[in-house]
Amino acid sequence: MGSVASYVENIKNAAVTIFEGMAVTLSWMFRRPITIQYPDRTPEPVKSMLPGRFRGILEVHIPACTACSACARACPIDVILVETKKHPSGKGRLLTRFDIDISKCMYCGLCTEACPTGCLHHTPVFEASARDIRNLVLHFVDKPVVPYKHKKGTPVPEMPPSGSIVEQLLKPWDAEYVQWTPGEIEVPTEGEAGGAGGKGSSAPREKEGKG
Amino acid sequence: MGDFFEYLKSEWSFASAHPELAFAILVIGYGILMIGFFAAFAGPVTWIERRVAGRMQCRIGPNRVGPQGFLQWLADGMKNFLKEDLIPNDADRILFRLAVYPVFAGVFLTFVVLPFGPWIVGADLDVGIVYLLAVTALVVTGIIMSGWASNSKWALLGGIRSAAQMVSYEVAAGMALLTAIIPGGSLSLQGIIEHQGGWPWQWLVFFSPATFVAFFVYFVASLAEGNRTPFDLPEAESELVSGYNTEYSGMRFLFFAFAEWGNLYVIGAVITAVFLGGWRIPGVDLATQTNNLWLQLLGAAIFIAKASILVSVTIWLRWTLPRLRVDQLMMMCWKYFVPIGIGLVVFSLVWQLVAAAVPTWVTGAVSVLLTLAGAALVAGMFWRAWYNIRSGKDTPVYKWLI
Amino acid sequence: MDSTQSKQSVSDDLMILNMGPQHPSTHGVIRFIITGDGEVMQRAVPHVGYLHRGIEKLAEGMPYPSFVPFTDRVDYLAAMFANHGYALAVERLLGLEVPRRAEYLRVIVSELNRIASHLIGVGAMAMDIGAFTPFLHGIREREKLNDIIEELCGARLTYNYVRVGGVAFDIPAGLDRKILSFLDTFEPLMEEFNRLITVNEILVKRCANVAIIDAETAKSYGLVGPNLRGSGVDWDLRRDLPYSAYPEFDFKVCVGRGVRGTLGDAYDRFVVRVEEMMESVKILRQALAGIPEGDIMAKVPRKLKPPKGEAYAAVESARGELGYHVISDGKDKPYRVKIRAGSFTATSIIEHASKGLMIADLVVLIASLDVIAPEIDR
Repeated sequence: MGSVASYVENIKNAAVTIFEGMAVTLSWMFRRPITIQYPDRTPEPVKSMLPGRFRGILEVHIPACTACSACARACPIDVILVETKKHPSGKGRLLTRFDIDISKCMYCGLCTEACPTGCLHHTPVFEASARDIRNLVLHFVDKPVVPYKHKKGTPVPEMPPSGSIVEQLLKPWDAEYVQWTPGEIEVPTEGEAGGAGGKGSSAPREKEGKG
Repeated sequence: MGDFFEYLKSEWSFASAHPELAFAILVIGYGILMIGFFAAFAGPVTWIERRVAGRMQCRIGPNRVGPQGFLQWLADGMKNFLKEDLIPNDADRILFRLAVYPVFAGVFLTFVVLPFGPWIVGADLDVGIVYLLAVTALVVTGIIMSGWASNSKWALLGGIRSAAQMVSYEVAAGMALLTAIIPGGSLSLQGIIEHQGGWPWQWLVFFSPATFVAFFVYFVASLAEGNRTPFDLPEAESELVSGYNTEYSGMRFLFFAFAEWGNLYVIGAVITAVFLGGWRIPGVDLATQTNNLWLQLLGAAIFIAKASILVSVTIWLRWTLPRLRVDQLMMMCWKYFVPIGIGLVVFSLVWQLVAAAVPTWVTGAVSVLLTLAGAALVAGMFWRAWYNIRSGKDTPVYKWLI
Repeated sequence: MDSTQSKQSVSDDLMILNMGPQHPSTHGVIRFIITGDGEVMQRAVPHVGYLHRGIEKLAEGMPYPSFVPFTDRVDYLAAMFANHGYALAVERLLGLEVPRRAEYLRVIVSELNRIASHLIGVGAMAMDIGAFTPFLHGIREREKLNDIIEELCGARLTYNYVRVGGVAFDIPAGLDRKILSFLDTFEPLMEEFNRLITVNEILVKRCANVAIIDAETAKSYGLVGPNLRGSGVDWDLRRDLPYSAYPEFDFKVCVGRGVRGTLGDAYDRFVVRVEEMMESVKILRQALAGIPEGDIMAKVPRKLKPPKGEAYAAVESARGELGYHVISDGKDKPYRVKIRAGSFTATSIIEHASKGLMIADLVVLIASLDVIAPEIDR
């Protein structure tokens, strides 16, 4: 009788478990779907739904940058290019170039942790598609500036809302690629004592962000 | 169509003057209407399937193309029209092209006997059920042809497996249908429907315990014939290939799919006709319904509604259950369904003898009890769904439900 | 999605089939050459290496702390374990003591990741067998976990969170309550998941008595994790070679019992993963209740220069023992980092276990071993 019992048992098991499974899927017909329809039918813009620590596209607030290149050294994949040149007046350095290649960036956050002033930070911006990949190299310095001299304990120059700088820099997705050149160094008419440019006059890296 | 034609002859002078021509026009018109119905059913059924699939998986289905995504199937159809017509190099060109037609014809020919109302039927054959079973066998030849002509061992294996599955489950399906035909008294679909009544306890499914079980057996067997989950191993990603229609693309592939979706309707329609009372309206007797054109149309609407509910159950099962392996599938057919089917036929025969000997209130009481059992099954399903909703604490529920 | 072709072998009547690198499943880019006669296979030989990125070689070119984001990519479904293993190995080299709060945070994120990874593991297994719905329900729960971890460390998949010497960020206010409320909703939803698929007769028939790996074979092939425990071997690194804060928690090690089939079949491995998720919930509740105050990072010098030597550290990842062998030669970059992943040995047993299986069962076998291509190839 064992085989008859197992025969009936099989049928009963199948019927009961299929019934239960069908009840589960039926119950989901009456519950609201949890998907949100990005980008046009979200309840609020996605950027505002992101948590504060979200590691989006990097941006740097140049007035607070000390040109120490700690970020460029910390980056495991050499995404950041910081170039300084001698100040024409002879004292200190000028920050001439700060490029971040966001197409190569892996959003690990090691650079933001290395930055002494916090001017390099992640933003909630994540939408940056471009037809030409060279448009994804963001140039944050358009004309050479004197790097900021940071004293420990003093407040850093006030930073604009997170993401505003990078949103201005990001070109529309179908923009043509325009070759970018660093700004000209103006020889000052009056003696502009450049603040001692940060700790590292690090040798500029030879690699481009993305050629 | 015969009864309708007799009625037409009295109304329409052209019909009595040239009967053959008028009959030909009528029949061809009905055929075109059926193709239209087939298409109009198959397309939206995919829309429903994708939306239901989405909701069961807690996501929304397609909802961008047209209002609520209703035109998605048109877009998919257009896309398939515009695809390149690819025939593999070493494939048997003639058979490859030809294989689509038996599959589609096998499904579409069943529409000849599917009734919608007392007079709304292609041809009320006396052997309707046998005709149905015979014509679905055409699909098997089409599948074997497509598997062979693809010149791919994989497609061949998939096709043979699919054919074996369909042939085996026709035996089981035939047994289950026989169980219902024995009390139904006639092999023609219209005859079986006329034997039933409009109220649920007058349906054949609740007539005897044998037909009650036969309903489930036939439902599962027709799922297997239609290559639907849980029996779709030959077709849906079986060993990561698409089985017999692997090498097809574009419109040819769409015809296979079209045939499958149309088959869904045939499944629903045959079950409705044989088990669920067909186009009978509760409380209206046969003569009144036959004489009143509006009641005929109402009957057609009821028929389509019942068939659609069964199609929805098919879709629901597809998104709930995993697939059976092919040998398990065949084992289930030959070791479970066919013996149970034989037992059901014998039970049904015995029940006929018992019903003749016993006072009518006993059979009536059995019908009512079975109706209550059926209703309890449906209510139990909704109760378990409600239990799931209640115990899943944070998932958002529609306000009108709580 | 056509990924198979078949050619007749000239020498014998066996059919050679190629289950190409692209699968319609989530196990990654692995290729199988299957020899069989029609239905029953003789061998299924895996060919790996499609996802090799040279992570171990990259480690030799960057300072110790900078390598942590790369370990994320070793197993991106459960990246915290990968971070943790590397951090453990380097800490052993340095002889660092990690603060207790950091250890508790490491345990919390590890168990959250274990749940997330197992959800994909069992969901993908159900999907390969044909049930599409449980996978999406699992993804729904995983999304909530991703949201929690996003609030914690800013990323959803590659976390870069467990660093050498501690963890990178502290729990923000309110997150522990969010995790607890997630756990409260997770348990009933897991029971619903079980009703939907785990006890489903069709799944049982597809998985029970299929791809049986007995304990001796499992040990000799070096299987680890739920694969090993599914074969009945009671071995869990969290209890047997404890690390981090695990000795302080009370949890059960889930071992396969041959429920609904033979011990060591695919269904056992499925059930072990489901049960492990529930055990992780228990550990999480204990950990959240008892987080001590303190630092989250030990005093680690900016430039790490471990003394000459080597260290091996292993964590019990979702896929088993994820071990890191770090050899240092005194400089600030490692001399060699070798990663031992559980999926690698699981791939090696596929050839042995596939004898006599049907091809439909091969899919079940691969899915039940929860093989992840990046772990195999690194």
